[in-house]
Amino acid sequence: MNVSTEALRDMHLRMVRIRTFEEEAGKLMESGRVPGSLHLYVGEEAVAAGVMAHLRDSDQITSTHRGHGHLVAKGGDFKQMYAELFGRSTGYCKGKGGSMHISDLDLGMLGANGIVGAGPPIAIGAAFSNQYRKTDNVTVCFFGDGASNEGTFHEAANMAAVFKLPVVFVCENNGFGEFTRQERHQAIQDVADRASGYGMPGVVVDGMDVMAVYEAAGEAIMRARRGGGPSLLECKTYRFYDHVGIRGLGVAYRDDSEVLEWRKRDPITMFERKLDEEGLLSAGEAAGIHETALAEVREAIAFAEASPFPDASALLEDVYTATD
Amino acid sequence: MTTVEAKPTRQLSYVAAVSEAFAQLMREDPDIFLAGEDVALGGSVFGVSRGLLKEFGPERVIDTPISESGIIGLGLGAAATGLRPIVDIMFMDFMGVCMDEIVNQVAKMKYMFGGKAKLPLTIHTMAGGGGSMAAQHSQSLEAWFCHVPGLKVVMPSGPYEAKGLMVAAVRDDNPVIVINNKVSLRMQADVPEELYEIELGRAHVVRPGTNFTIVAIGRMVPESLKAAEMLAADGLDVEVIDPRTLQPFDTATVVESVRKTHRALVAHEAVRFGGIGAEIAAQIQEEAFDYLDAPVGRVGAPFSPVPFSPPLEKEYIPDAGRVAAEVRRILGKQV
Amino acid sequence: MGGPIGILANPASGKDIRRLVANASVFDNREKRSIVRRVVLGAIAAGAREFVYMPDSHGIAASALEELEAEAAVRELEIPRTGSALDTSRAAERMREAGVSVAITLGGDGTSRAFALGWPSAPLIAISTGTNNVFPKMIEGTVAGAAAGLVASGAIAIHEVARQAKMVHVTFEDGREDLALIDVALLDGPFVGARAIWDAGSLRALVLARAEPAAIGMSSIGGLLRPVGSDADEGLVVEVGGTGPSLLAPITPGQHSKVPIAGHHRLALGEPYELHGPGILAFDGEREHRLMAGQRAVLTVRRNGPLVIDVPRTLQLAACRGIFRTDGDAHGD
Repeated sequence: MNVSTEALRDMHLRMVRIRTFEEEAGKLMESGRVPGSLHLYVGEEAVAAGVMAHLRDSDQITSTHRGHGHLVAKGGDFKQMYAELFGRSTGYCKGKGGSMHISDLDLGMLGANGIVGAGPPIAIGAAFSNQYRKTDNVTVCFFGDGASNEGTFHEAANMAAVFKLPVVFVCENNGFGEFTRQERHQAIQDVADRASGYGMPGVVVDGMDVMAVYEAAGEAIMRARRGGGPSLLECKTYRFYDHVGIRGLGVAYRDDSEVLEWRKRDPITMFERKLDEEGLLSAGEAAGIHETALAEVREAIAFAEASPFPDASALLEDVYTATD
Repeated sequence: MTTVEAKPTRQLSYVAAVSEAFAQLMREDPDIFLAGEDVALGGSVFGVSRGLLKEFGPERVIDTPISESGIIGLGLGAAATGLRPIVDIMFMDFMGVCMDEIVNQVAKMKYMFGGKAKLPLTIHTMAGGGGSMAAQHSQSLEAWFCHVPGLKVVMPSGPYEAKGLMVAAVRDDNPVIVINNKVSLRMQADVPEELYEIELGRAHVVRPGTNFTIVAIGRMVPESLKAAEMLAADGLDVEVIDPRTLQPFDTATVVESVRKTHRALVAHEAVRFGGIGAEIAAQIQEEAFDYLDAPVGRVGAPFSPVPFSPPLEKEYIPDAGRVAAEVRRILGKQV
Repeated sequence: MGGPIGILANPASGKDIRRLVANASVFDNREKRSIVRRVVLGAIAAGAREFVYMPDSHGIAASALEELEAEAAVRELEIPRTGSALDTSRAAERMREAGVSVAITLGGDGTSRAFALGWPSAPLIAISTGTNNVFPKMIEGTVAGAAAGLVASGAIAIHEVARQAKMVHVTFEDGREDLALIDVALLDGPFVGARAIWDAGSLRALVLARAEPAAIGMSSIGGLLRPVGSDADEGLVVEVGGTGPSLLAPITPGQHSKVPIAGHHRLALGEPYELHGPGILAFDGEREHRLMAGQRAVLTVRRNGPLVIDVPRTLQLAACRGIFRTDGDAHGD
């Protein structure tokens, strides 16, 4: 597998931007500066980066409650994202959606979603649209191991296969449905096994290795673009923090040692080590990229906090569209 | 754009009015497709899409698996990405299977996304009892959806309304649930050949009158007209209003009528408790309390599931006699 | 009676990227569980009474060994789980320590290799559930189990039915060693990525213990040039690249790829062959080890691998010796 240095650096940048965005967002939530709950993507960055590296703006994705990483990787604007987390009128959703509904339709990001398993039916609709219009756009549906137990996943997987839709189901298997360990919520270990039940290929990759995700996602997306139909890519990954917020250790449902073991396989650290060894990105350059991302995040936070809250008059706006 | 009240030219059945609306809309706009369980080869179990597959082909008239959540998701995702889908949920009772897609996704996407999404999605379904289809194939659940901001809900009362409201629903840039009535499908009426729209959110005074206002929903419109004839024999001049659209609801037309007649009842096939009639009655008393000479009455189904056995079902579903009786009760003229 | 039968099912086999790029079949873990169960039932029928197994993260073996009706002692080996190939290698070591008389593995070439890393000369029946399977055999679990049972119970002596397999040994400059059962490939590029080899374009060289014309994968490339069977006391080197002749070979199931051939030659047992970086070394079809520019690895083919039990031959001997016959009211002969 030969990948250009530019593409490698691009994936690294996407991961760093997600990590930085999330770490700072987590702090804001813990200190009460942003309202509500945040589901952080820290630890799972390689999945979003490896997949999104193959997508164009015109390709769509559906996301999950853990959706910031998907939008960042799809090219989301930090300022509008933070403003949304702060509930400001300058946010992506004018402060009406918040973390769990963050979206950018111009980037084909069809929304984070507060309902587990809501993405797959929407994804097949977008994929149908691509097929109907005879474009070669592809829809990627991100979902978790928990969502793979929802009926919606099964309905959508079946319809995608029977209609041969250009959709890739990317399972971010982080081993937990909220607090419930996978072995307690499903009797299989590889969600990819479910693919064959719908007549599509299912593949398992190391979701901590961005290159493994990149390679497999590239093939799955290419297959969909060429009219080859849907596939399921399961990425084995891990949520470094808690279901909500930044607490990751000292929780009842998993041992700290397990978290520390997974943290040794931090997707960003591993990738940086590799890029450094190969002479493709030095440790110094990587540090600079982290710094730049942090500066951008801080600027976005300042923008968000300086932005106005929505006016009360906005309450009833955008419930409906005025038909021309 | 063609508008309300085009000239009637011929008689058409309710079912033919719906399929004619589909066909004419699809000819007009290539972004429209129809998807649902057995809508293509089967022409829908109710016949509302008969002939469409032949004319528009399998790309635009699509048989789906029996997957209601998937079907609504298909419509939503396609609408959010620029198409104008019509999706069919065969029986309204099945909407329980896809409630999340309708209530949490379809209805809220635009608002949650700060207004950026445009969702020109029509969800067509069939409601109502009368065919001995029992508790899971006979309900009228319109009140569920009227309660959810972001959705529009229409309930055509006859062939003319079925076509005109469908056209308006499909052309609307919002999610609209079109609830047609099963036993009305063979009903005949004058229906214009051309494409016409019945404006959403505008009630229609079907029968003007001076003594009493009946707000009748869907199939209760013809029943209420019959009741009005029965009551005319007693010398009562009853006004019958068909709201046509339940969400948004045309309170103004109803209130204007009540200010004139001073008495009102709402008739619907749905269960009375918590039905849309309760909301309409509340709106009337809020807006026209000082004009009322009697409490607003409500006619609806009793608080039980829809029964199977024909005599029981007949007892269950309100009809002209029950509407007339309720009018008389309100007027203190029990027979 | 010999030692216990060791059972190892690799949960990860049969799920790699080749399901996407080619038409490789999917072996789900329910199917693997069923195979393990048939293996055990077959082995019990042939007289085996003692089993040990690797606790895989997916519980394949454990669930297959639940509620056995016959009298059999079943024991789980104690190994720390990592969810990686390391588990298989460690399980092999434990099995050797436990005095296992026959080991049965379910997986592909990758699984067999991981097992051999832990116990290179194991008495082995490898059942195929992976993708590029040259080493393991497509064989019914019941029958494989019966053969294992015959050897484990001492009814058939292992030296009658087994032969030691060849392996490719790799020695790096820092002294570390590695091995493959069938093939070692050198590929372009710095990343292991999704591990499985599916792109012929990145191949540079192959060292094969076996070159099988009827196989899938790297072995087929050598096999279609110059077959080298499991019995032949030699290996084969294939140099890939150039603009000269090329070969059409099934690199993955359903996918014949054009492979440019710069040359090929036999490699005598023990004869060293050097591969030079930069590139990625793949062992039995899985990209694994980065060779940096200027680094080299020395490869040799030797016959010191697993003691592979010939299942059909074992059952043939059992038939000759009437092992499965029972006394009593037998009809006919």
